[in-house]
Amino acid sequence: MAGISSDVIRGYNDTMILYLIWEKPSYGYEISKQIKVMSEEKYIIKETTLYSAFTRLEKNGYIEAFEDFSSGKRRTYYRITDMGRAYYREKCEEWNLTQDVVGKFIMKGDLSYGSN
Amino acid sequence: MEAIRNYLETMFANLPNTMEVQKAKRELGQMMEDKYTELKGEGKTENEAIGTVISEFGNLDELAEDLGIAPYVKKQAAAMGKILPLQEVKEFLAAKSKSAFLVGLGVMLCILSPCAPILTDTFMGDGLANLGAALLFVLIGMAVALFVYAGLTTSKWEYLEKEPYIIDFATTEYVHNQQNLFRPTYGLMLTIGIVLCVLSVVPSILLENAVAWMEEFSGVLLFVMVGFGVFLIVFSCKRFNSFQYLLDLNKADTVAGNFVPGQNKNKRTYQNKTVNGIMSVYWPTITCIYLCWSFLTFDWHISWIIWPIAAVINALIRNICE
Repeated sequence: MAGISSDVIRGYNDTMILYLIWEKPSYGYEISKQIKVMSEEKYIIKETTLYSAFTRLEKNGYIEAFEDFSSGKRRTYYRITDMGRAYYREKCEEWNLTQDVVGKFIMKGDLSYGSN
Repeated sequence: MEAIRNYLETMFANLPNTMEVQKAKRELGQMMEDKYTELKGEGKTENEAIGTVISEFGNLDELAEDLGIAPYVKKQAAAMGKILPLQEVKEFLAAKSKSAFLVGLGVMLCILSPCAPILTDTFMGDGLANLGAALLFVLIGMAVALFVYAGLTTSKWEYLEKEPYIIDFATTEYVHNQQNLFRPTYGLMLTIGIVLCVLSVVPSILLENAVAWMEEFSGVLLFVMVGFGVFLIVFSCKRFNSFQYLLDLNKADTVAGNFVPGQNKNKRTYQNKTVNGIMSVYWPTITCIYLCWSFLTFDWHISWIIWPIAAVINALIRNICE
């Protein structure tokens, strides 16, 4: 089976990150691990991709970064903002629509039909 | 973990040393460390853990826009300069240390050379005056031979001047550690050297009114003390500077120029090229003026004034033009 295309999933990295910090703030590695676990290891996000997403989300005001020392190490945690929650809802709607539209063109069953 | 740190530092080596870049490096380093720790906790071997972490790191291209480093990432390969391998760095340091010793020895022989005529005059009578003079030239000849040989041993490394070379993180750390190991010895040698030079006049003062041969001997002692003092100063400074030279290879405004504290300390560049040119010959010119003035007029008692004045002017130029 072909692996996941990073071009396609790129637009939804933000959605995954916002979902994972919806309840409580989290930090870089924890988020990347959760993505790996929840996707059943089908998607492993690269560190640079993740960091790039953080900086972009922060710049747009969707998340806030803060330092935390409670684990004994200095870690940057990310917290979702109200704007972030609104953006997440938008992205969910967009995804439902995308899935709906693209889904109409995905063949079900035996895909060998039509080929010689 | 060292391998991961090394990998990260190498990836960032040629990026500009800005707040954003430092923050990105710190964050990415933290994520990599967390992942490494967890993988090790799961029972993975060192190599497996490092392999996984590095393969899942990604590509700095993705960060280019966010960090404002797009132009650097694109031209990185060209701007890199060649990496000087650790093995060659070790050879370089060994050769420089040897050459520092030889040059120090040569300078000492030059300073000691007047002792030969003094000693033959005092202890062997006038008949052997020529022997003393001959010995003087033999010593100077030996010194010149040492200078030439020292120059030849280090000439192999002239290519470092001609092409841009950089040293990677591990090598920088190695050089920095070696420099720190040598630092106490350097301080001690320099101090003893300076003290010997300052104290070199003491025997002459003490033995001023002693018997004639003692007085002559005090002259010899002066040269011996200055000679050995200068040897210590030349050797320790030259050796210490060879470490600094390597640390200064990496450009100051890149991350690689800031791997360890104290990098690019010696580099002083003036923005104006003319000023830069003048400043490069500043001290030799002052020395020349000092010597000409002093020897032509024999006003040694006052000609030293040129040094404090020159130092003040130098500080002025530095503050205005740097």
